[in-house]
Amino acid sequence: MNDRVKRWLEDGTVDLFLGYKMIMGHPLPHCFVKEKIEEVNDLIIGPARYSLEKIATHIAAVKPDIKIGLLARDCNQRALNVLYIWNQLNPENVRTVNVNCCPSNLKEHGDCSYLEHEAAGSFKRQVGIDNNLQPENIEGYGQSQRLSRWMYEFQKCIKCYGCRNICPVCFCQECSLEHRELVGTGALPPEIPIFHLVRAVHMAGRCIDCGLCEDACPVDIPLRLLYQKVNEIVSDVFDYKTGTGDSQSPFNILGDTVTLEPKPIQLAKTAN
Amino acid sequence: MAGLAAAFGSGAMTNSIADIEDAGCIFVIGSNTTACHPLIARRIFRAKEKGAKLIVADPRNIQLSRFADVAVQHRLGSDVALLNGMMHLIIRNGWQDKDYIAQRTEDYEALEKLLQSYTPEKVKAITGVDPADLENMTELYATHPPASLLYAMGITQHTTGVDNVKSCCNVAMLCGYVGVHGGGVNPLRGQNNVQGACDMGGLPNVYTGYQPVADAEAREKFSTAWGTELPDSPGLTITDMIPAMLEGKLKGLYVIGENPKLSDPDWNHLNHALKELDFLVVQELFLSETAQVADVVLPAASVAEKDGTFTNSERRCMRIHKAIEPVGNALPDWQIIARLSTAMGYQMDYASPEEIFDEMTALTPKSYAGMTYERLGLDGLQWPCPDGQHPGTPYLHKDQFTRGKGKFHAVEYKDPAELPDKEYPYFLTTGRMFAHFHTGTMTRISPHLDVEQTTGYVTINPQDAGSLDIKEGDVLILSSRRGQMEAPAKISGSVEPGTLFLPIHFGENPTNVLTNAEAFDPLAKIPEFKVSAVNIEKLAS
Amino acid sequence: MQCKLVPSICSYCGTGCGLLFEVIDGKINSTLPMKTHPVNEGKLCIKGWNLHEHINSFMRLKHPLVKTFGRFIKTDWDEALQVTADRFKEIVAKHGPDSVGMLVSAKITNEENYLAQKFARAVIGTNNVDHCARL
Repeated sequence: MNDRVKRWLEDGTVDLFLGYKMIMGHPLPHCFVKEKIEEVNDLIIGPARYSLEKIATHIAAVKPDIKIGLLARDCNQRALNVLYIWNQLNPENVRTVNVNCCPSNLKEHGDCSYLEHEAAGSFKRQVGIDNNLQPENIEGYGQSQRLSRWMYEFQKCIKCYGCRNICPVCFCQECSLEHRELVGTGALPPEIPIFHLVRAVHMAGRCIDCGLCEDACPVDIPLRLLYQKVNEIVSDVFDYKTGTGDSQSPFNILGDTVTLEPKPIQLAKTAN
Repeated sequence: MAGLAAAFGSGAMTNSIADIEDAGCIFVIGSNTTACHPLIARRIFRAKEKGAKLIVADPRNIQLSRFADVAVQHRLGSDVALLNGMMHLIIRNGWQDKDYIAQRTEDYEALEKLLQSYTPEKVKAITGVDPADLENMTELYATHPPASLLYAMGITQHTTGVDNVKSCCNVAMLCGYVGVHGGGVNPLRGQNNVQGACDMGGLPNVYTGYQPVADAEAREKFSTAWGTELPDSPGLTITDMIPAMLEGKLKGLYVIGENPKLSDPDWNHLNHALKELDFLVVQELFLSETAQVADVVLPAASVAEKDGTFTNSERRCMRIHKAIEPVGNALPDWQIIARLSTAMGYQMDYASPEEIFDEMTALTPKSYAGMTYERLGLDGLQWPCPDGQHPGTPYLHKDQFTRGKGKFHAVEYKDPAELPDKEYPYFLTTGRMFAHFHTGTMTRISPHLDVEQTTGYVTINPQDAGSLDIKEGDVLILSSRRGQMEAPAKISGSVEPGTLFLPIHFGENPTNVLTNAEAFDPLAKIPEFKVSAVNIEKLAS
Repeated sequence: MQCKLVPSICSYCGTGCGLLFEVIDGKINSTLPMKTHPVNEGKLCIKGWNLHEHINSFMRLKHPLVKTFGRFIKTDWDEALQVTADRFKEIVAKHGPDSVGMLVSAKITNEENYLAQKFARAVIGTNNVDHCARL
């Protein structure tokens, strides 16, 4: 890996390479460049995960033609696919070094061992939602209990916007979460469940299930689960699996026409 | 911090932030934690979800109250009575830790005697808290060890601030919760480096590490290190400086990174005082309200434009690293001070903040001596860290209190300096909201924060709003004995009927026009921001 | 093109969260939580996430200002510091060192606080040093 990155920097395949470096005992994202080629010896995969592709979009926004190399776990790759589709990065300018994020057998939508949660505490199991559950587990609760459990989780929200800020595929200039007509301002908790549902709706066809939002949530709201559910519906209704390839999202609004075509109805499971 | 130092011998958070997760019970009093210390609130939620009990005592109905096993809204300024009531019940039920009291504390008897009169009925009369709630919260606190007590400025910003803190210390010691992992008495600091400013001797009576200026040996040490004679009598506190300005005794003032014009009580009083000065220098990031009235304004570098260290609430000294060059001609504060000092004929030559840090640690043997930039790394070290091998101290008073024995203080309840009356029938309390910080100089110019709340407001209970025919957004005129101001109404059940809440961040609605500069704690000199009496009327449209 | 991620500590409340400044071409583009920091473990509040905004604000003071006949005039460091030094020396000479007060800050670094109180005590010669922790 390190030799390949060195070669890329030296022969100009990439102008810079985003990876990780251990700094005073902490694995931090680091930008490697030709001028300090010896630093590449310290390039590591690192146990902590940052959205390197989001940093790449910020760099490309300043210098559109720059060639960026980056370390890509499975989730980074999915995020890149979405960013290409939405014209946030030009695939011709991006080279990746792919790394296996889990020690072994990645699933198609690779679950990362990094995101394995500790077992939920007794009170959370009783009134909230265990972050380790799957969408189908939640369905088992029945409607009224499901609502009260989600509301418990949302009530903890301290409106940090961390879920949006850390999201590798959140790049809108104007965010619905800051739209006064949609979500009220100035109070804690924010307007619930509207705040979280507005974001969930926007994650349809966008979320690549990297789990960085949940990882950044100060109050352990099981956001990943919420967006998994939304994307289950997208998958059922539109037959679209976000981040898996280069096909346009059904919610694509780039260009002149909006196409929002559901897949043939007989194939669609009834979405809950 | 005077209260903590008197009881324990050290004026800082006894335990660590991460510790809170391991508490058996968390008692939050006078802290709107989710808004003011969100990443500490995170630990409270995590503890609660793991099964810890949560007690919230706050005159307002705050976000945390929704998650509490018991939440009480005690009357503003009645904290001592509430805590004494809890201790009365602890002793009545025999829940106190008798061995701990005997071995590790002193002056218990006087407290026990005083507590006899604080029956639940008496406490209800003062605080408005139902005896059943008082019993419940007391049982939760006393029977789920270790309990962690968290407080913020809802406890300290009173005329009885020191008494309030002493009472917090009393209740924690009574149950043997001080000096254990997961327990303690934990003041949450409002500003990022309050702890550091105190530790560094930013106080009128002490040098670094709380070495008294009146102590001849300490003075001799600093005098030798700095190569000059040093004054021996303690100086003026900020609260004493204002009258000194008015009396013409204080002629020159050098203000660094502060906006006292908005943060001091009684705006009109201070406004007047600043005008009396011959010379005012303000060193700031922005042209704050105070900077506007200065004679000289010095542009300072921001947190990202310099190296150095901050010490957080849990006594953790941590490094900041220079990320960018200062904007324009701004300079880091350390360079400005050094250059000014040199211009005044006292040569200060430092190549880097690290040199200053090393000079400081050499003079601060008990707490900072074992720290170097290299050792701090990115995790920092928690003081006391007396030598180069010491790993730092996650919680204080482990086998022994800093002062030897923990000292109980028999504290009688006293009314706040001002209570509502016929003329000014409403309680007014002040505080912060989640998106803004202190006087708003940093947050109100930040687009993503300003969007949350662009103007000041006054929170009023729906019942009061109804009886005065006030609708959401109506502009109200608030008046107190000191002055008057206007703010739009925000109608919410988060305050009790008869109580109003004003956020402190908004210069065009200056809260401290109303608050009382005359009323402050006699020892800590903290003004009573949290209680004053006001009247309201609707602005005629 | 230069891009770096610089570890630092949030300068809002007293919690002391670890964060990273994302710097692109000498400008802070965003603030990120430090994943492995012992205080905040990769999370921040709304203020922390937007820490860079006040740093980048166009409202920042960029030059020393000296008030002349009631109006601020931009000046350079040498002049501003000389004016300040002269005025302080004059006040101390006329009214004694205790006629000067110093408010240090809960917002500046330990090193700067240390230096500020050293300035008040050793250079001016007064213990009139305080800060706004009380407020």
